[in-house]
Amino acid sequence: MHRKAARGRRKASRRKTQQPTPQRNVVALIAGGVGELMLTAGAVVLLFVVYTLWGTGIQTANAQDDLRDQLGLDAGQIEKDPIPLDELEVGDAYGIIRIPRFGEDWEWIIVQGTEDADLKNGPGHYLDSVDPGEIGNFSIAGHRSGHGEPFAQFPELQVGDIIEIETATGTYLYELDSAPNGDPDGNKIGIRDSWVVDPVPGEGDEAEPTERRITLTTCWPRWGSSHRMYATGILIGGEEV
Amino acid sequence: MYAWIWRHLPGPWPVRLLIYLILIAAIIYALFIWVFPWAEDAFNISEVTVG
Repeated sequence: MHRKAARGRRKASRRKTQQPTPQRNVVALIAGGVGELMLTAGAVVLLFVVYTLWGTGIQTANAQDDLRDQLGLDAGQIEKDPIPLDELEVGDAYGIIRIPRFGEDWEWIIVQGTEDADLKNGPGHYLDSVDPGEIGNFSIAGHRSGHGEPFAQFPELQVGDIIEIETATGTYLYELDSAPNGDPDGNKIGIRDSWVVDPVPGEGDEAEPTERRITLTTCWPRWGSSHRMYATGILIGGEEV
Repeated sequence: MYAWIWRHLPGPWPVRLLIYLILIAAIIYALFIWVFPWAEDAFNISEVTVG
């Protein structure tokens, strides 16, 4: 009761001093509505950042678990009787990639294929490229931001670094002979520079390869994809099953 | 807008608050499940392949 009375008094006094025209009320209402919409848009953008930084990683982590099961990983080894590489479907678990430069325990399951849906689950094997150990250019693409960011530290790769690949057919060791070498802009290329994944890098599709190479690609800059970044190397050892 | 929604929610204030929070949670869930994955693809912000 008391409050109501006070409110009524306030209203009365306002009416006395300044009479808000209905027009001004409409303007205030619209301005308030626009303000709320802008605040909401800001909140949505922030949520999108949360999604790219953290939300996408949850899905990737789950997918990696499924892919590990698919490979039948037992004590870090691929099971004895896996699906042959040439019978894999797009999106299947392909093998394991280990890069000691990224950490002792750094290990990711490679997916067959490089479509968005494949790369959401882990680094992907370019379908047109050969299998590891073969003559040609075994090529992999991976995210550097979001989706578990497997290649987050990509610019830290140095010439001489070892890339270990394990598949159903064996374990293969590659040594990088071209890498960003710690330069955040090192080995930066355009989005159409598919020459890096050619059988003989830079020689076109028809060139007959003689070397057993590996090539890794990721995005540049880290939080965008106006360009790409790559590292490449040559087979130096390993053992077939 | 938010005040307008508040005024049109039924029940006493604790019920309204609950409905409001559920509404917001549902919208955020929809953003994460449908809108953001679509936006990521549409704006090509995470492409890592060449060619």
